[in-house]
Amino acid sequence: MKTLGRIALYAGLTVAALTFIYPFLWMASATFKPPAEVGTLALIPDNITLDNYRTMWARAPFGRALLNSTMVAGTITLAVLVFGSMTAYAMARLRFRGRPALNAVTLAVLLVPGQLTLIPMYTLVVQLGWIDTYAALIVPYLFNATAILMMRQFFLQMPQSLIDSARMDGMGELRILFTIFWPLSKPVLSIVAIFTFMGSWNEVLWPLLVVREQQLMTLPQLLTVFALGGGAGSIGVSLASAMVLVVPVVIAYAFLQRNFIESMASSGVKG
Amino acid sequence: MRAEQRSGSLMAAPYAAFLLVFAAYPIAFALVLVFLQWDLVTTPSFAGLDNVRLLANDGRFWRAVANTFVFLSIHLPLQIATALVLALALNRPLVLRSFWRASFFLPVVISGAVVAILWSNLYATDVGLINRLLVRIGLTPVPWLTDPSTAMPAIAAMVTWKNVGFYVIIYLAGLQYIPRSCQEAIEMEGATAWQRFRHLTLPMLLPQTILVVTLSTINGFQLFIEPYVMTGGGPLRRTYSIVLYLYTNAFSYQKMGYAATIGVALALIIGAVVFIQRRVIGKEETL
Amino acid sequence: MPSVHFDHVSKRFGATTVVEDFNLEVADGELLVLVGGSGSGKTTILRMLAGLEEVTEGMIRIDQRDVTALPPRERDVAMVFQDYGLYPHMTVRENLSLGLRLRKVARKEIDRRVAWAGDMLRLEPLLDRKPKQLSGGQQQRVAMGRAMVREPLVFLFDEPLSNLDAGLRAQMRIEIGGLQRRLKTTTVYVTHDQVEAMTLGDRIVVLADGRIQQVGKPIELYRAPVNRFVAGFIGTPPMNFVDGQLLREDGSTVFAAEGVRVQLPHEIADGTGSSEVVTLGIRPEDLTVDSGDSTDAPADSIPGRVVLVERLGGTSHVHFDAGPHRLLASVSNDRLPEVGDSITVRVRAERVHLFGGDGRKT
Repeated sequence: MKTLGRIALYAGLTVAALTFIYPFLWMASATFKPPAEVGTLALIPDNITLDNYRTMWARAPFGRALLNSTMVAGTITLAVLVFGSMTAYAMARLRFRGRPALNAVTLAVLLVPGQLTLIPMYTLVVQLGWIDTYAALIVPYLFNATAILMMRQFFLQMPQSLIDSARMDGMGELRILFTIFWPLSKPVLSIVAIFTFMGSWNEVLWPLLVVREQQLMTLPQLLTVFALGGGAGSIGVSLASAMVLVVPVVIAYAFLQRNFIESMASSGVKG
Repeated sequence: MRAEQRSGSLMAAPYAAFLLVFAAYPIAFALVLVFLQWDLVTTPSFAGLDNVRLLANDGRFWRAVANTFVFLSIHLPLQIATALVLALALNRPLVLRSFWRASFFLPVVISGAVVAILWSNLYATDVGLINRLLVRIGLTPVPWLTDPSTAMPAIAAMVTWKNVGFYVIIYLAGLQYIPRSCQEAIEMEGATAWQRFRHLTLPMLLPQTILVVTLSTINGFQLFIEPYVMTGGGPLRRTYSIVLYLYTNAFSYQKMGYAATIGVALALIIGAVVFIQRRVIGKEETL
Repeated sequence: MPSVHFDHVSKRFGATTVVEDFNLEVADGELLVLVGGSGSGKTTILRMLAGLEEVTEGMIRIDQRDVTALPPRERDVAMVFQDYGLYPHMTVRENLSLGLRLRKVARKEIDRRVAWAGDMLRLEPLLDRKPKQLSGGQQQRVAMGRAMVREPLVFLFDEPLSNLDAGLRAQMRIEIGGLQRRLKTTTVYVTHDQVEAMTLGDRIVVLADGRIQQVGKPIELYRAPVNRFVAGFIGTPPMNFVDGQLLREDGSTVFAAEGVRVQLPHEIADGTGSSEVVTLGIRPEDLTVDSGDSTDAPADSIPGRVVLVERLGGTSHVHFDAGPHRLLASVSNDRLPEVGDSITVRVRAERVHLFGGDGRKT
């Protein structure tokens, strides 16, 4: 009875896991299939072809989009870590006028749904002349209230004597932050880095609004436009273009799955 | 200290400025836009309550709201049930536990755009994987995304599939907090597995359930890329979402005032729905 | 020449005054202990001297230089913290040398000082470990080493021993004392533990509610506390207090309370008024216990009933009730009474203290 239960449990888990993994495996394999074969359930193509990738690469600037996405997500992540931790350090450990107000506003900002500010943000970017610029993709994300609150929470738990010692040793606040707090905050910094990068990497609505120039499009945007605009022409090609977006993420996820899960779960709960 | 005061202000100033420009201003301007007519090219003109009146009588907007409720009525129960089942399955010593967990979580890290493109193919009527599977076991294929009655349920099922790993993690965290002594006590009472679940596990997971409901409701109201990619809002506008309508008004029709009005209305609807949900679930808690 | 001056220093947080008009000179090479309960302001005073808290009013000078407005790094002071404040991600060596590196001290000089401190504090085998790999006592020594290598004008200690267990605390107390005497560096040491204060301090400052109660050598505080607070704070076991009245009888002055009568010698009674309400303070070792309620006891003795005997080995504590008062006598172990025994207790009247209604010594 007990073994039977365990067999059933593992059978169920296998089915569930396949449900989540199989579609991606099928997608990966479909990109190597000629059009006639794409519809089959088999994961190993009878005839392996790279045509889908060639076509995809030739028809739209996916290399450029990969570069754009990396640049945009990388810059945003770096900014959120550097500027965000400065803000969080000040909000957690320095007494200054306006600090309580800043804390309260940060909490309030998290309660406002993004759709409320979407249009005013869009008109702001239009008026700043930022349509079709990297600035439009990057600047509105330079700070992240969730990230600041998470880092602040972490910094609050550091012993005061650490800061005092560092001040006695002759450090200024920025130095304390980057040489004492940063090395001790790796858990929270990696959490913030992952969800910030992933959020930016996967974002599609905002780029759709502010970028029309193909050369400036990020991967998910170009992918969407390419698939919807009929540029792909076939399933294999559109899935091949999706692979450009998926593969880096899956590789990173394979190595850092624990961090990914912790990061995305905690950001979702706080946000 | 003065030095502390100075460095504190300096380190927080950029963020304060950012909040002013990218949070305070947009929120305030959203409320102003409600009363404007503006195509981004000509000067904005005051429109009084025109946008609000238009919204109140806009069948397309209310169609989108209704669609969202259809979506939620399928998505919420399905999301809670699947997340619970998978979390309970994982909440025990298992071989390869982190592999199972990681595989459930995989779709969460994949871009919504990719998932939508992938599933358009899985759902395709003639060549789609799902229908081929149905045909193979002797069933008739279903026109998932082209039949008005199945399109939204199909999208709801897909979104559930994409997000379930996230909620599994939330439930797993909750399960860790159920004290062993409670488990043992109820076992001593002679409760069956179902009774243990019904009278101990489920009530103890109420905070997590509230969280799951809240987050997936907000998520549901923000539905965009799925209908945008998979159906374009059709068939018969049955998958048209509020954000898709907002986007269309802004991007295709250049109606900034009206789009902002939709945004404000959406924020209010989300607030109201979440508030009501919490009242209802919260009441259950006290019973 | 004093090396630290506090001149009318006050500290307020909003409406709360934490330190009020604090004046003090710390002599060169002296080990001065600030002692008081929580909220007495002792740590705030130390942190103001360190530059970690701002001075609301007044002036602090170190070696004649006004440092009131200077940040910590420009004050040439080093501090040992209660929880050590070691950098967890750096090795002991890095912890010791960081302050010097930041001050651009020459590499060779840094190595020399680290080696010197390592030798003095027996840290050499630990230099390449991280703080987490060290015991509490070792971490404590690293914290001291970090202060030493700076070769500052003043050492500051903020309750450095309170995180250690009793045995280690006694040992480290001796080490700190010995080290300070060898280095002859002016030291301000904050503690709530009066034993630590008594054993370590060249002088002690007793603080309560942000004010100085008394400043003096340990033995002065013990023998001549200026008020009831100091009398009760200094000394273990604490002084016995009995509230009563002064009566004039046949030209002599008698302290009288229910169950307690003590005839006071002239040196103590002088200057007091009749019928004055006072508090009598008697140190436990100034009480002698005679067993049996001998009716032929001297007139100046207190009858009591034993409620508890704590046997400590060398001396023991006899708790007894005298009328409504619970008193404690510290006695040698030769003839200990049993619980419930009636006893007669003699008072060394020339050693008692009298405090007026305001708590001050009369």
